[in-house]
Amino acid sequence: MSVALQSEAIDVAAEYAKLVRDSPGAAVATFTGYVRDHSGQQSVTELELEHYPEMALKVLEDLGQSATERFGLSGWRIVHRFGRLAVSETIVWVGAVADHRGEAISACELMMDTLKTDAPFWKREQGAAGEQWVASRDSDSARRARWQSGEAQ
Amino acid sequence: MASGSVSITIKLFSALREALGESEFQLNLTEVSEAPAQIDVAAIKKLLSQRGAEWKEALNQPNLVHALNHKVVFTDAVVSEGDELAFFPPMTGG
Repeated sequence: MSVALQSEAIDVAAEYAKLVRDSPGAAVATFTGYVRDHSGQQSVTELELEHYPEMALKVLEDLGQSATERFGLSGWRIVHRFGRLAVSETIVWVGAVADHRGEAISACELMMDTLKTDAPFWKREQGAAGEQWVASRDSDSARRARWQSGEAQ
Repeated sequence: MASGSVSITIKLFSALREALGESEFQLNLTEVSEAPAQIDVAAIKKLLSQRGAEWKEALNQPNLVHALNHKVVFTDAVVSEGDELAFFPPMTGG
């Protein structure tokens, strides 16, 4: 039931172990996001993540609470990186514990879909073409909207 | 407010911070004509837009996001003494 914002790599095994130790449950779902080596047709060599610390913490804590209320979670955890990240490094990790798989998987999806459009982080990619801020994607907004329209449950 | 003035913190992030060369500053709202109780985000945008063409352009992008005290708001949100108002482009985390 907590959020971590950190510059260091995410220790996925340790996060998982802590989540299931602190919140025993029958169903555990997790998602790990890594830095891609390309963006469209362009190669990416490094990523810089700027963030708004106080707001990011609040948005992610509210998100965990809302996933808990919606899916009856017994535990959840959101870890998000900031700073400079190399290709293939972890960016984000979310975990949800529930009584059944449907709730745990949906909670992870809700947390990821909402986090991408609502948490104040901004990616800046560095690659062969130079540096540039990543533009927001309509497909991310569409995924986020499914949870508000009731299309996703 | 005894003094009749309102002081808020402005924060800028990402491409907006870069374009305007500032990340955080205090804004004293004695220059706004409205009563302090009626100063909204739109009025702050208007005031900051007077700082120059680059400010006007950056703060009037159609997809600009405004967060008041760490919560995304519309431009009719009213600001008060001590508030923190942030402007930034759409978020791209995860």
